[in-house]
Amino acid sequence: MMRDVVSRSGTPLPIDLSTVQHPFEMSTATGAVPAESSLARRSGKFLTFFLAGEEYGLEILKVHEILGMLPITRIPRAPDFILGVINLRGKVIPIMDLRTRFLMPPSETAEPCIIVTQIQRVQIGIVVDQVSEVCNIAAGEVEDTPNFGADVHTEFLLGLAKQGGRVKLLLDIDRILDMKELASASEAAA
Amino acid sequence: MTSAEQSLPDLLRGVRAELDAATPADTATLARPRAKLAWIASMLPTQRGEARRLLDLAAEAASAIGTTLEGEQEHQRCLNAVRAAVGAAIEHLAAPEDLGGELLLIQAGQQLLRALGRDHQEWMRGMSRGNVTPHDTASEIIEGQPVPLLTLDDAAALLLMVEPSERAEMERIRHALEALTEDEREVPLVRTLAGDAVASIRRVLDDVSAAEDLVTDLAEVAQFVNLAVRARDDAAEWMSAGPQLAIPIGVVEGGSVPAPRAPATAHHGVADALPEGDRELIADFVVECGEYLESAEAALLKLEANPTDIEAINTVFRAFHTVKGTSGFLGLDVITTFAHEAESLFSRVRDGELPFAGRIPDLALRAADVVKALVETVDKALHGTPMTRPGTYDTVLEELARVAAGDMSTGAEAADGIAATPTAEAEEGPARPRLVQAPEPWRGEERRDQNSDSSIRVRTDRLDRLIDMVSELVIAHTMIAQDESVPQVGHHGLGRKVSHAGKIVRELHDLSLSMRMVPLKPTFQKMTRLVRDVAHNVGKEVEFITEGDETEIDRNMVDALSDPLVHMVRNAVDHGIETPDERIAAGKPRHGSVRLSAKHSGGSVLVELRDDGRGLDKDRIVVKAIEKGLIESAAKLADAEIFNLIFAPGFSTATHVTALSGRGVGMDVVRRNIESLRGLVTISSVPGEGTLFTLRLPLTLAVTDGMLVQVGPERYVIPTTCIHMSFRPERSALSTIAGRGEMVRLRDEVMPMFRLHKLFSVVGAQEDPCAALVVVVSIGSQRVALLVDALLGQQQVVAKSLGEGIGKIEGVSGGAILGDGRVGLILDVAELLVMLRRREAGPDQLRSVA
Repeated sequence: MMRDVVSRSGTPLPIDLSTVQHPFEMSTATGAVPAESSLARRSGKFLTFFLAGEEYGLEILKVHEILGMLPITRIPRAPDFILGVINLRGKVIPIMDLRTRFLMPPSETAEPCIIVTQIQRVQIGIVVDQVSEVCNIAAGEVEDTPNFGADVHTEFLLGLAKQGGRVKLLLDIDRILDMKELASASEAAA
Repeated sequence: MTSAEQSLPDLLRGVRAELDAATPADTATLARPRAKLAWIASMLPTQRGEARRLLDLAAEAASAIGTTLEGEQEHQRCLNAVRAAVGAAIEHLAAPEDLGGELLLIQAGQQLLRALGRDHQEWMRGMSRGNVTPHDTASEIIEGQPVPLLTLDDAAALLLMVEPSERAEMERIRHALEALTEDEREVPLVRTLAGDAVASIRRVLDDVSAAEDLVTDLAEVAQFVNLAVRARDDAAEWMSAGPQLAIPIGVVEGGSVPAPRAPATAHHGVADALPEGDRELIADFVVECGEYLESAEAALLKLEANPTDIEAINTVFRAFHTVKGTSGFLGLDVITTFAHEAESLFSRVRDGELPFAGRIPDLALRAADVVKALVETVDKALHGTPMTRPGTYDTVLEELARVAAGDMSTGAEAADGIAATPTAEAEEGPARPRLVQAPEPWRGEERRDQNSDSSIRVRTDRLDRLIDMVSELVIAHTMIAQDESVPQVGHHGLGRKVSHAGKIVRELHDLSLSMRMVPLKPTFQKMTRLVRDVAHNVGKEVEFITEGDETEIDRNMVDALSDPLVHMVRNAVDHGIETPDERIAAGKPRHGSVRLSAKHSGGSVLVELRDDGRGLDKDRIVVKAIEKGLIESAAKLADAEIFNLIFAPGFSTATHVTALSGRGVGMDVVRRNIESLRGLVTISSVPGEGTLFTLRLPLTLAVTDGMLVQVGPERYVIPTTCIHMSFRPERSALSTIAGRGEMVRLRDEVMPMFRLHKLFSVVGAQEDPCAALVVVVSIGSQRVALLVDALLGQQQVVAKSLGEGIGKIEGVSGGAILGDGRVGLILDVAELLVMLRRREAGPDQLRSVA
């Protein structure tokens, strides 16, 4: 995944591609225990969606809107999980493919849609297979993510919610989009 | 209803706007609305007990965010409840008798309680109590102490409405203000400002004769009162914000902020630290000061031509006065001290005690420069750079003080100007017995233009968003207009309606784009000053004429245009215009003339700089160019081509300055600047008669003229200014180097050819160059050929960033929304060339990507 991208001005890019790693594949030793702050975020309303048969939850407050698939303009020389950009009512926003981000095979049958999220000031759309529902998740229904050791890294989960006999993976979207943290995490590992 | 109560909904609306901008993560953004909420609640009369209770609760909730409440979600919920509560209070106060408004109050109250984690029933239980006895904390303030006749806010509101003839009302205001100056509970600054307001209002009350002055005096009272309200609110905010913000109170209460009329010399030598305080206010101050100083400078230059222009003297005086007042209010002592001296000097000039002559004009301009430099350092200090004083601060300050004190040496020098002043007074005397004694509050440049030329400040990001939305509307409308069902037979009327809507949309679009336009006047004014200074320095006499300074241009371009203009104007005066003796010897008038003009011409702006100096020396340019190896001989060159040589980089070095009458100084920079604005610069010159520089600039940078090209399934936009030409190559025109580097021949020129589809890894593009198209792009003298599938047509596009999440993509300057609503990428040709050069140097670097 290492690529040669150089910023003209010499300042680090918002996405430093040389440090981007797969979320579940990071060889860091920082463990999978969610931080104190993320514990508080594990209950409340979540938007759930499907990705390769798994159900994920995304805090509703981080969701700006849900769009059907729109024509995406590919951006040359961008990381592969950045599908390109779309025109969101006059604003150009980047689109990330969550399947590619999680190293899942590309979807074939599903009707994908775009969830527009806003982290701090950065708006970014993520492509998922299918949006499911908005559900209330109580703190009691959430468990810490079990530790799978080095094979599966769970830093990008707030926890697991068990509801109606199903397991919902609560996504920490900030960690997926926060490339700076990725950079420092991989530095720590190096 | 008291007038204060009437203004409360408006205040609340302000609070709501602040709340909308606040984020739960940043509790500092909440401090101000919270303080205001508590204060507004305390202002509400007893019969509005419910609203008061709600606002108190809202203030409590606002302070709970980030303190007692835990978790982002809770914070957000709480903030939403506070917003809802403010909204409900606005509704309710606007129509107190409306049942719906009351219901809203109850809902909002319950929502707040829930957000605070309390029992929402509490609201209903408290309701009856709230109606009978006013709410606890707030009522204590009102009932525990004698209520003044009018509060400060009442006074502020009344002042907006009162007519100078309503003496009873004015007396009431004066009374209230006087009470305020005595009020121990108020912050010192508020009391001082109230004192100033009283002084002004007394003048209004005592002096009923000159009606036109009354209005301005009254406006001044209002200004003082408004400043006091601001000071009070800020103090309240600091107090409520708790210990972490305690320092600013010290600044205010410690009295280090001089009142606008306090003798400022006492503060000389205070450390040049940026005072704590409202950064927003300081930022506003910086912007305002810029405007005052600009006008002051213009007025000073006018005064040089006509030293008795009372209006100009007043303008300068007012500018210094306002700068002094506001800087004093903000605790910027360094500026206050200086502006005070400058103001003192001008008050003597205004009163006819000193003539505007001798050293004064020069000194005044230098003083304006120092204030400008000071304001600049304040601006920088806002961004973290420590404040510094300009080097001339002390000397100019001393000189100001000396001249203002009536130093004899100046008096003697200025003797020639004295005669003029009494004449001016004689002219003005009978009509206006006194010159404006009170400083008039600032009212823009020309008071008579107030109605026709009024304006408001709008944040640029908001404006940009509006323009975005309108562009979207244009696209959306086009999509409707092109919909198949529109021209159908059954919908005869629809087509007409759609095209009518289209007209409106287009007009809206033009209008929205024009909102970013500003006149060139300030830029031209800067040049006036520059010409004066340069001419003065090199001992030349130059008449500077500007024309068409009302021509408008995109705001973003104004700054970028300024630099090259400075170069060119300086050159024109320094080297173009001859000395007076030379001119007379050449049979020309003693005064040289430099004319700067601007006008719109065919969708672009034409800026011309014409001087009647000695003109460019063609032969010398040719000699130098041959020396430099730029050309071999001038035999084939037209005049324009020869003149263009002075734009060559490195053409002008120090040794050339004299030989070439210096016309080359920085000219390559000028051309580069103009080209970066996508403009064009041309020269024409006649020896002995002068030189004409013509700049042709686009109206705006926001809109790019682009060529849409097809590459496989993708489309890209190439800026038209970079495109030299395009053609379909013959097979014989193609060649390769080492089987890899492709070249194409265009007439006699061979240039490298790059396949855009390879560069951007596009799949499915035309691989055969003879079936595709070559676009020759150039930056400066560099030319390369890009291989694309086809040209799709020329189009004006609005360049946009690709979004913060994605960073910079090499070779792409941004995205543009195309006619069908999709995003097309705009090529950054300059960057592309750099990229290609690197690729030539080390092809392997890129192969891993491509």
